[in-house]
Amino acid sequence: MTNRTLAFASRNLKEIVRDPLSYVFCLGFPLVMLVVMTLVNDGIPAEANMTIFRIDNLAGGIAVFGLTFVMLFVCLSVSKDRSGAFLLRLYATPMRSGNFIAGYLLPSLMLAFIQIMITFAASLVVSLIKGIELNIGGLLLSAVALLPTVVLFISLGLLFGTLFSEKAAPGLCSVVISFASFLGGIWFDVDNTSGVLKKICGVLPFVHSVKTSRLTAALDFSELPEHLLITSAYAIAATVLAIVVFRSKMKADLG
Amino acid sequence: MYAVETKKLVKKYKTKTAVKGLDLAINEGEIYALLGVNGAGKTTTIRMLTCLSTPTSGECFVCGKSCAAEASEVKKIAGISPQDTAVAENLTVEENLRLMCGIFGYSKEKTAESIQSMTELFSLGEYEKSRAKTLSGGWKRKLSIAMAMIGEPKVLFLDEPTLGLDVLARRELWKVIEKLKSKITIILTTHYMEEAEQLSDRIGVMISGELKAEGTLSELEAKTGEQGLENVFVKIAENADKGGESND
Repeated sequence: MTNRTLAFASRNLKEIVRDPLSYVFCLGFPLVMLVVMTLVNDGIPAEANMTIFRIDNLAGGIAVFGLTFVMLFVCLSVSKDRSGAFLLRLYATPMRSGNFIAGYLLPSLMLAFIQIMITFAASLVVSLIKGIELNIGGLLLSAVALLPTVVLFISLGLLFGTLFSEKAAPGLCSVVISFASFLGGIWFDVDNTSGVLKKICGVLPFVHSVKTSRLTAALDFSELPEHLLITSAYAIAATVLAIVVFRSKMKADLG
Repeated sequence: MYAVETKKLVKKYKTKTAVKGLDLAINEGEIYALLGVNGAGKTTTIRMLTCLSTPTSGECFVCGKSCAAEASEVKKIAGISPQDTAVAENLTVEENLRLMCGIFGYSKEKTAESIQSMTELFSLGEYEKSRAKTLSGGWKRKLSIAMAMIGEPKVLFLDEPTLGLDVLARRELWKVIEKLKSKITIILTTHYMEEAEQLSDRIGVMISGELKAEGTLSELEAKTGEQGLENVFVKIAENADKGGESND
C-alpha cells in the first residue's frame, strides 16, 4: 500500500470521524431501529408465532440494514468530493485512480466493521435483558462472514457517488436502502412468501446477506455456502463495476 | 528551455473551441499573467498545462516535459491552486499540508520540514490547528496555494487566485505571491487589471481563446498607444471585436 493511498485514506477517515452524520446514520440509526423493533417484538402476541423481530433474528438483519447507511455515507463523501475542486487538485498530483479507490474503501471498511460490532454488542445486551441466548462466537463469525456484504455496499456507494451528483446520489441510495431492507427479509420472513416476490428476493443479494449473517450467528452452516457465494459474486461484480466506472469518470474529467 | 511552452494548442469542446492555436513561451522565474474576461480560455489553458485536460491538438510542455506524453513527470514539477478553493474542509490547516506531503511520498522528517516552511512562508501559524472550513476566503486561498507549493513545484499555476476576495485579502495574497517571485515560475490567470499590473513581469491577453497580445505593460502600452492596463486591454478587446490586429 502506497503512501498516497494511506494519506488519502487518512484524510477520508478524518472526514468520517468529524462528520456528525456518520454517527447519526451509521451508528445511531441502526441502534434506534434495534430498540424500536425489539419493542415491536414485545407487542407481538406469542400465538402469532412471528420471530422475525426476536433479537436472534433481528441482530443479523439490523447489521445488514446498517451497512446500507455506510453505502449512503460513502456515496455522499464521493459525490461531495467530486462536486468541488478538491479532487481536481489531487488529479493534478501523482495520485492514480487506484490510490483514490483504495483511499475511499479503507476507512469505509473500518466504519462498517465498527458499526457491525456495535450493533452486535447492543444485540447481546438486548438478548441478556430478554433472556434469549446469543452466541458471542457466532456473532464474531457473523461479522467476518459479512465481509462480502460490506464490500458490496461500499462499492455501491462508490459507484453511485461517482455516477451521480451530490443532490441526486442520496435519493438513489434511499431507493437501494428501501429495497435492501424490504426485499432482504429484514422486516418479514421471505421464506413464508411465495411467487414473484420470493423469486425477486432470491435473485437480489440482500436476502442472502441477511441469511449469511443470521446463519453464522446461530452457528448453522447448513445453507451458508449458497448464500455466501451469491453475496460474494455480487460483491465482486459491484467492486469491479465501481472501479471501472470511477476510472472512466476520472478519465472523462481529465478529457 | 522555457518553463512553459505551448505550440498551436487547441482545445475543442462539443460546440465550442475554448483555446485556438495558442503559442506561449514563458521563461523560468517569470510571473506571467494570462488576462482575459470570463470564458476567454484562461482556465482551459491552465487545465491543459497541469494535465487536467487533454489538448484537442497542438502540444504543451512544462520545463521541457510534454503534458501529453510525460504527464506523470509534469505532475511532479507543476503545482496548481484551482479557481475554487480546493482544500479538505474538515481537516485542519496542518492536516491539509500533511495530506499533500503524504501524496508526494515525503518522509516524516521531510513532512515536518515542509509543513514548517509553508506555515512560515504563508504566515499560517496562527491557524495551524484550525479546520479549513472555519477560515476566511483569503486564508483558505493562502492554504490552497501553500498546498500547491508542498510538492516543490518548478512552475506554479494560480487560477484566479484572488477571485471573490475583498480588497484587503487580495492585497495580502499579492504579498504572498510576490514573496514567491524569482523562486519559481508563476502563471496566474486573472481578470483583475490591477492584479496583472502589480504582480506580473509579462502579460498575455486572451480573448475568445486566442492570445491577442503579449508583453510587458510598457510594451503593451507602446503597441496600443494607451496608458494603463485597463485602457490597453479595452483597446485590444475592441480591435479583436473588429477583427483587427491588437498590435497595430
